[in-house]
Amino acid sequence: MKKNKKVLLTKGQEGHLSDLRRGQKAVVLDFHNDNAALRRRLLDMGITKGVVIEIKKIAPLGDPIDISLRGYELCIRKIDMEGIDIKVI
Amino acid sequence: MKLALIGNQNSGKTSLFNALTGSNQKVGNWPGVTIDRVEGSIKKYHSTIVDLPGIYSLSPYTAEEEVSRQFILNEDLDLLINIVDATSLERSLYLTTQLLELNVDVVIAFNMYDLVEKKGIKIDIKKLSNELGATIIPISAKTGKGLDELKETIFKKKYLKNKHKKIYPSDIEKFIDDTIKFYNHPWKHKFHKRFEAIKVFEEDRDYKILLGDKLKAEHLLIEKKYAMDGEQLIASLRYDYIEKVRDKCVTYPPVKETKSDKLDKIFLHKIWAIPIFIVIMGLVYFLSISIVGGLTNNLISALFNGSESVKFTIGSFSWNAPIKLEGLGPLIARSLGNIGASKWAMSLVQTGVISGLAIVVSFVPQLICLFLCLAILETTGYMSRIAFFLDRIFHKLGLSGKSLIPFIVGAGCTVPGIMSTRTVEDENEKRVTIALVPFIPCNAKLTIISLISAAFFKQIGFLVALSFYFLAIVIIILSALFIKKVLKRKEHTTFISELPEYKSPNPIYIGRDVWDKTIAFFKRAATVVVFFSVIVWTLSSFTPSFQYIDGSKFTIEQSQLKYLGDGISWFFYFILGCRLDWAASVSALQGLIAKEQVISSMEVIARTSGAASIFAPGSPFAYFNPITAFAFASFNLFSIPCVGSLSAMRHELKSAKKMFIVIACELLFAWLLASLIGIWGVFIK
Ligand SMILES: Nc1nc2c(ncn2[C@@H]2O[C@H](COP(=O)(O)OP(=O)(O)OP(=O)(O)O)[C@@H](O)[C@H]2O)c(=O)[nH]1
Ligand SMILES: [Mg+2]
Repeated sequence: MKKNKKVLLTKGQEGHLSDLRRGQKAVVLDFHNDNAALRRRLLDMGITKGVVIEIKKIAPLGDPIDISLRGYELCIRKIDMEGIDIKVI
Repeated sequence: MKLALIGNQNSGKTSLFNALTGSNQKVGNWPGVTIDRVEGSIKKYHSTIVDLPGIYSLSPYTAEEEVSRQFILNEDLDLLINIVDATSLERSLYLTTQLLELNVDVVIAFNMYDLVEKKGIKIDIKKLSNELGATIIPISAKTGKGLDELKETIFKKKYLKNKHKKIYPSDIEKFIDDTIKFYNHPWKHKFHKRFEAIKVFEEDRDYKILLGDKLKAEHLLIEKKYAMDGEQLIASLRYDYIEKVRDKCVTYPPVKETKSDKLDKIFLHKIWAIPIFIVIMGLVYFLSISIVGGLTNNLISALFNGSESVKFTIGSFSWNAPIKLEGLGPLIARSLGNIGASKWAMSLVQTGVISGLAIVVSFVPQLICLFLCLAILETTGYMSRIAFFLDRIFHKLGLSGKSLIPFIVGAGCTVPGIMSTRTVEDENEKRVTIALVPFIPCNAKLTIISLISAAFFKQIGFLVALSFYFLAIVIIILSALFIKKVLKRKEHTTFISELPEYKSPNPIYIGRDVWDKTIAFFKRAATVVVFFSVIVWTLSSFTPSFQYIDGSKFTIEQSQLKYLGDGISWFFYFILGCRLDWAASVSALQGLIAKEQVISSMEVIARTSGAASIFAPGSPFAYFNPITAFAFASFNLFSIPCVGSLSAMRHELKSAKKMFIVIACELLFAWLLASLIGIWGVFIK
């Protein structure tokens, strides 16, 4: 497991979905992902350009993370969130 | 008419299926309960209806999702019933937009409408129905509201025909039309042209066929214009369309903290989540084994076998009630004796049938308690939380959080446990999970655990019982790590799962679930266990020359069973503390048939040899000490599972060879572990 430096994003800043803290909201800008199946899954679950995502719950061991979007909640691993570019709102 | 139920996972398809057909398929509050298609009939309307595994889109990921897609694309259906969880409209309608592209009519059932009203969400059904171009019926599969209207709409054909509304911008719609027109490749599914043309636009890997130059240019132009590739573009446009429709027809109340959020503050607490989980599981087993089991076990045994007094225990307290019971077995035997039956016939009934059955049945109340607790965990939504917070640990072991569900289901019975591995996306993870599920002690194995812990560890019996589960977890972790090392897998797998809201369990479903499992246990006891117990009785009551063993001229040491057992007792030599014991050996062997048969066989052998219970003086098992007992139980728990599980394993692994490899490993492992414990017992003596 690589431990990347904790980047703290504030309002208006851009980064990856995995950098957000609990309670933060962000809008999705783009994907970069080489796993085609994962990409398809994320799209199907509603993670498209422009959607607003809120970090709702974090598992007690720090991973996975429960995000809320489009009126429902989705659990997703941090590593899969790295490929999603966002802008904090 | 032929209908299919299709919708997202956990949207209530099976609940509706049960309500419409009066059947009793499993319902649970986690995604992926239904793993195969199930047919049912609505007799009144001469119709067949098919329940399918939940899917989020018509691009499947897992085996069970592929079942659903293949079914709706290839089957000749009169109507699709699209079940929508109306509390998460946006995500659910995504699938609806895809279904409406198929060449089949769709009726949309807005399920969970009771929750919609409770939450104060206002949906203009008529307007929404107009927008989508399909009939919508609000229902609640739980309370039954709206079901009559749904039936009326479907069977009196009062629904709208599929209009194939054009929901994309005109340039994309033009591409779709052109594709349908100019496309000269044989269509994969002869009916669903619009659906397939859109798949072509998405450049789906299953539909990558050569496009003509003109269409190619068109495609390129569109991708450039929107700055997205086809796949991304279609998904975005679908959601855009849904948002637009939603804004027109739905009003949400201001967001506030939901009940689920509040509960998750406790159950997913950073520090307390795992202790709470351990306490809950501990309580489940404490309640089942120490309280319910302690209060009923001896009583049932006495009802069947007779006793001078009945012992009740709760945890470490026990009370000997001076209740004298003759017992069913002795009663029948006495009646038979009165009409002049011979001695062996009396013994056959009293020992072979009644005692063999009684020991298994005496565990029924605690199993009911266990089934009840597991059903509550499953239906409230807590199980999804466990999968969520243990995912990190599972990830380290090379498994996904979804592998947890098979383990928990497997604590009830290994067979459905193994079958529920279908929801695990990655093929390797799935195989590893299948191989490891049998290590979790199932309800039949619980009888062995309870017997051993009550007989040898009295005061700390409950803790010993738990220690078997703890041992199982340690074994699973070590095996998973070992397999991960051997397979040297690097690529990471994903875990994407919906976190369902907490729901109060539906008592009817829980009742039915517990009832079904209990009846299944009884059935096995009354058929398989009785059958084999009678065989054990016969083989242990006659010598090889068929002389009846009445305890005076011959003893059980001259029985046929002994000679058979002698042939295999070498295998258990170390496990039983360096002792060749035919009786324990033949009993363990019968675990292959059903694990509860192990104790039934021991009981019949003990009673045939004149002892009052399995470990009482005079029984061939009288030499058992706590360590031999622990070793013997370990072997039975962790070696080859019963035949039912083996066939489930073969089916899910899709290979007999793989199954044999798995069970050979399990057998070797269990033998080594139990032998080590057995030998250790000899040393410390
Ligand atoms: N409140 C409420 N709960 C419902 C309703 N319908 C279903 N449920 C609950 O929703 C959960 C899921 O129901 P299922 O019928 O198992 O859902 P499914 O669509 O078959 O799920 P999968 O087989 O996993 O795809 C269960 O806990 C049900 O009790 C409803 O109308 N109202
Ligand atoms: Mg179902």
